[in-house]
Amino acid sequence: MNTKPRRRIVWGHLLLLIVIVGVVIAYLLDTRAASLRINNLLLVQPASILALILAALVLPGIFPRSEATEEEPEKKETTGDLVRVFLLIAALAGLAFSLETIGFDIATFAFMVVALAICGEKRWWVNLGFSAIFTVALIYGYGSITPFPFPLTIL
Amino acid sequence: MIEFTSVWGAFALLGSDLNAWLYLLPGLVIGLVFGAMPGISITMAMAFALPATLYMDFLPAIIFLTAIYTGAGFGGSVPAVLMGIPGTSSAVATTFDGYPMARKGQHNQALGIALASSVIGCLMSYLLLLFLIAPVSNVVLRLGPLEMFAVAVWGMLLLGSLAGSHLSRGLLAGVFGVLLGTVGMNTAGFTRGTMGIPWLLDGIPQIPAMMGLLAASQLIGLINTNYLITDESSRKISFSKIVGGVRMALSYPTIIFRGSLIGVIIGAIPGVGSSISNLLSYSETKRNAPDGDTFGQGNPKGVIAAESANSSSEGGAMATMLALGIPGGGATAILLAAFAMHNIVGGPSFIANNKDIVYALIFSNFAQAILLLFVGLGFVYVASYVVRVPLRFLIPSVLVVATFGAYAIEGSAAGPITLWVFSVLGWAMVRYSYPVAAAVVGLLLGGLLEGNLLRTNQISGGDFIGYGLERPWALLIFALMLGSLMLQTLSKRRRRKQTEREAQANAASEAS
Amino acid sequence: MHSKVSRRNVLKATAGGVAMAALGMPSILRAQDGFPNRPINVIVPFDTGGYNDRLARAFAPFLQEALGQPLTIINRGGAGALLGHTFFLQQPDDGYTILCTSAAPYLPLNILTQDASFALEDFYMVNLPSQDYTLLATSSGSDIQTIDDVIARLKEDPGSLSVGLQPASADLVNFSILCEANDIDMEAVRIVTYDGGGPARNAVAGGVVDIGLVGGEGFLPLAEQIRPLLTFDVRQRDGWEGALVNEVLGEDPDFVVGSQRGWGLHASMQESNPEVFSTLVEAIETASKNPAAIEALKNQQLATDWYGPEESNQMLARTATVMEQYIDLLQGT
Repeated sequence: MNTKPRRRIVWGHLLLLIVIVGVVIAYLLDTRAASLRINNLLLVQPASILALILAALVLPGIFPRSEATEEEPEKKETTGDLVRVFLLIAALAGLAFSLETIGFDIATFAFMVVALAICGEKRWWVNLGFSAIFTVALIYGYGSITPFPFPLTIL
Repeated sequence: MIEFTSVWGAFALLGSDLNAWLYLLPGLVIGLVFGAMPGISITMAMAFALPATLYMDFLPAIIFLTAIYTGAGFGGSVPAVLMGIPGTSSAVATTFDGYPMARKGQHNQALGIALASSVIGCLMSYLLLLFLIAPVSNVVLRLGPLEMFAVAVWGMLLLGSLAGSHLSRGLLAGVFGVLLGTVGMNTAGFTRGTMGIPWLLDGIPQIPAMMGLLAASQLIGLINTNYLITDESSRKISFSKIVGGVRMALSYPTIIFRGSLIGVIIGAIPGVGSSISNLLSYSETKRNAPDGDTFGQGNPKGVIAAESANSSSEGGAMATMLALGIPGGGATAILLAAFAMHNIVGGPSFIANNKDIVYALIFSNFAQAILLLFVGLGFVYVASYVVRVPLRFLIPSVLVVATFGAYAIEGSAAGPITLWVFSVLGWAMVRYSYPVAAAVVGLLLGGLLEGNLLRTNQISGGDFIGYGLERPWALLIFALMLGSLMLQTLSKRRRRKQTEREAQANAASEAS
Repeated sequence: MHSKVSRRNVLKATAGGVAMAALGMPSILRAQDGFPNRPINVIVPFDTGGYNDRLARAFAPFLQEALGQPLTIINRGGAGALLGHTFFLQQPDDGYTILCTSAAPYLPLNILTQDASFALEDFYMVNLPSQDYTLLATSSGSDIQTIDDVIARLKEDPGSLSVGLQPASADLVNFSILCEANDIDMEAVRIVTYDGGGPARNAVAGGVVDIGLVGGEGFLPLAEQIRPLLTFDVRQRDGWEGALVNEVLGEDPDFVVGSQRGWGLHASMQESNPEVFSTLVEAIETASKNPAAIEALKNQQLATDWYGPEESNQMLARTATVMEQYIDLLQGT
């Protein structure tokens, strides 16, 4: 594989491209499974093929020559910074998937506390106070203008 | 054209109940606040106010509702500029340059520009409405799928200019967006890519996906930054700079005029409206600007183009509603319902028989636009304090607000889940230099492209060219599009030659 | 202050079965101390601004008056009302959640084409005041004058006319019945599919398609731009000219009525909460017959006619049976 030692692999980019290509292929197969009629394939099939061609053109960018600095978004980024990003993404997932089951009040408050901590608020009393006030304000504020109530547990 | 007896009738009507004007201010404020909340659509704001108008007289009811309409139209631009959140699809192009301006510390100017462009766009659209209402209504219904497809393709041209330095990545993002935009049941009833999830039948929820791609992804990436604006001295809230932005917008009358024209025309087409007009206006402005390369990095012209087009779409939608009695979107559907509650039914005979009401509506909207300038100044002044909030508070708060908005617009966890999936995708795309905006444009236009391509195929029996030759309006749109592209290439070449010549001249003069 | 408390109750109420179960409080016990004693939710399985939403919002003040408790309208749009219908059935059948929907064609469609988790019998329609019908029309500038012109042209060459309609709709079924009766090869007809009634009607009015089949009530604002050719009903509707379906397809014709919209309850409530059930049915009847309600809804071009539960459920069941015969047509275009 590594016949040219000067080339590197940008793993994150490779992963992103695999996801995109995977979604495109799965979508094309699902569309073809639904029906082979022209009214179904008219746009999706050519667009999918175009996407796959474009993905092939992007491929060299994943294996840049090592002196190329352009492909290095994580210039000053430490592993710690990246961990915080992933923690925040995980916290947001927790919020999105638990809202309806544990109630907007609990889910929002929990997310606020965790996310504030991840984002660097070290004073715990500030964190808890802000999270509580913000949660209550948001639930009553948004709650009064949306065309349906939010599922709540405590408030 | 303009009938002066009706104009006097309109003034008499507007003056008949001065108390009606008391509803102007609350209407605008409600609109601004609702519009500025991500996920709360103009339709929702108006649906809430509708029951209250049941017990009002006709004039105050209409003034109240249209004031909400106008206010909400601008309200969506505030989060678009300050946080990069397009609360509605009509504010997407505003984020392209408005948000970079805010990040550079030009938040005051950006908001002032957005406000002024909106106000002028709104004024212009109603002015155009006075003259265009009859011809527009004649054409609108004749627009078939091929014409709509042409409009969608025009919007897709934006992909080329959004791509930036990595052309293949930009196009891949755009095509990927288009594909995602066709998920669900297509117009012929075929269901694809839903993975058995019922809510995907209607496609991927657009607004949560956009908020995720454009805003949440940015916020996640900002986690290691302390403030939205890095330079502390730029974090000031300055009223004079907001006013400076207003003045700056005034110095680009061509862009505003073009935006307003695009807005009125596209806004008049039922079912297309402001979500496309802001993209078209942005794309045309960028293509024609000598400094087009700096669009997307905080060029004020981008904000002017987007804002003048999305606010003028209101006038276009109103033209269709008044002339044909058909709603172009949810907001005009509510207005029609309010008309009906007072025994006034829209349609061709409505304009003929009620010219005074039509003019009264137009004049009251002039008043709204002007009042919006002042109310809006106060509103953006307060709203811009957001830039002073440390990011460690702002990131979690805005993520939660976006989640609530996503829930509000979908009515179920489908919204927040979509938001999450697309914010992760957006974060990864930003990290590896894919333009997320291209994916958003694709996502917005995918359904429109497919539906109308498909209907063109159905209606023509597969004979696209033969059918196309029978459609003068489609040919005209395609011709305009090609013309615009060619003009751009020509002017680019001319500019390049000019710089070369200047360089040569300089070299020559130095040599001598 | 007071309003805040009641707001809380609304929110709590809709925390739904989860909260109820958690509190260990059977809904029937609450209902007994004088139903209703808290606000009632109205589920509209469509977005704001559509017919059902407008109907629910316009009717709500009068139903509130009859029930003595405020109503909260909850829009749960999406997937052809499937999401809203499913959500409605998931709510407890204690009478604090009622439904305002286009029962036909959406309930049968959900069941026949979308693998819905419910059956028609899970819903009990109290009244379906809005009875839409398919109208076959052309643009007022068209050279097609009568339905006979349409049939003659399609018989000669099925590809000669483009036909605008919505996929998986009553209108599509009616068109196929018309084709079948006249030996027209429907496969060869240029059918143009639209995502909603509005766009399809605009295409008819603008002459974008040669003819269109869409719900007739929605055509009213466009009356001047279209020429009605055939009403799929045995009596004249909304003053449309043109033929009636029995004049074209013969006596006792086979056709599907259009959208049947109105008020529904959990069918299970008849056994679980019979008193609450009859209170609600009576309240809807009282409100429907309230002259002020009739006046207000008429002004908004909304229907209030009282057909009653028996007739409403029969009408719905009849529509569902006819639609079932055309299941292949509805499943794939």
